[in-house]
Amino acid sequence: MAWNEYSFGLLVVFLAALVGFMALARERDDLHKLLLVDLVEVASIAVIALLGTDLAEALILPGLVVGIAELLALSQLYIAKEGLAGVPPRGLNIEVVQKSPATVIIPGFLVVYGIVLSGFTGGGIAALGLVFYFMSHRFLGDFHVLELASGISWALWVAAFFVFMFAPAFWFLALMGAAVGILLKVITKISLVGVMWGEAE
Amino acid sequence: MNEIGGVPLFFLEFGDIVAYFSPFTLTLFLLALVFSVFVIVSRPERQIDIAFGADAFFAKEISLPELRFRRFMAIACGLACMGAMVTGDVFDFTLFVSLVGICNVGIVAAVRTYHVQDAAYQYGLVALAGTVPLFSAAAIVAATTGTLSMLELASPAAPAVPLIARALLVLGVMGEGMAPFYAAKAEMFRAPGAPYVIMCSLSSLLIFLRVTEVVLLL
Repeated sequence: MAWNEYSFGLLVVFLAALVGFMALARERDDLHKLLLVDLVEVASIAVIALLGTDLAEALILPGLVVGIAELLALSQLYIAKEGLAGVPPRGLNIEVVQKSPATVIIPGFLVVYGIVLSGFTGGGIAALGLVFYFMSHRFLGDFHVLELASGISWALWVAAFFVFMFAPAFWFLALMGAAVGILLKVITKISLVGVMWGEAE
Repeated sequence: MNEIGGVPLFFLEFGDIVAYFSPFTLTLFLLALVFSVFVIVSRPERQIDIAFGADAFFAKEISLPELRFRRFMAIACGLACMGAMVTGDVFDFTLFVSLVGICNVGIVAAVRTYHVQDAAYQYGLVALAGTVPLFSAAAIVAATTGTLSMLELASPAAPAVPLIARALLVLGVMGEGMAPFYAAKAEMFRAPGAPYVIMCSLSSLLIFLRVTEVVLLL
């Protein structure tokens, strides 16, 4: 079989995955192992992305969601295993981050831009802004509300898909519902990364 | 079509994703269903530890919140298994299999014992690494044949699936809980709470049986 762009891309991605696996085989620290596994996981998304079709885009979404779900589950397990639950998260202890207004302006810009984009991409961008905001400001609110919002907006997304299947005439409504649902879902879910430290004992 | 699991009895269509029930997949589906019902109705065992050198024993109690969480994860694992048994789409199959991996970790994650949690964590790392060959297999199948439907791939006219895609699929399923990575899982079964923990091993068995069919079908 002739070598084409796809074959070369595949080779590069598999080499990257191999490097990741080699690092994983040498690493002994549990937390670093988790980070390396997540790095290797990126290679699997890249293999799907190499398809370069609409189908690839549709397959990356569930692939990414499963990857993030496993990562969140394992990090929760790590916190429980090492007895870190109940330790309050700390913001970045860097003076320029704590004093500068840029830590509000940049997240604000990213959130607005993300909402304009909507959908999964927009959710990712807005969530990035929120993660940066939570990192630079100490925020000790009730994150369970965010978790609840995430669940409800996902239900909205699924409901929109049922409309697509059973009442295709209302496709525009379903499209908007799905776009808003996945936007809220991704924003809330990803902004929880690093701030949820499990139930207090 | 190549009827490795018997003639399909009926098809359940979700758009272009078709779940099919052949005698083989239906049997596996019913097994997962029956065990899920067992998990719903049964109460957890209470492990008894005998104290050596004394005439004493103690039972391990499982608190209600822990029971609820583990039962929920076991039911979720059962649902993921049922999906993996009947789906007719290669990518869906890989997604269901990785879902089984997460649920297996979840079933024992609520146990407050260090060695069980540590075993679950290490197994979770293997399962997470296993998604790389799994998704790669599905992506390569789609790239070389242009379809992910098992029914289309099973027809004699379909283009051949490369050996590497099948090998990666088997490797990925092995990562989600089959030998030799099963060793990482074995320690998890020492967690108390029998019907839920057995879901871990049953799901491994089921996805192993199903992946043999999928690989022979492609």
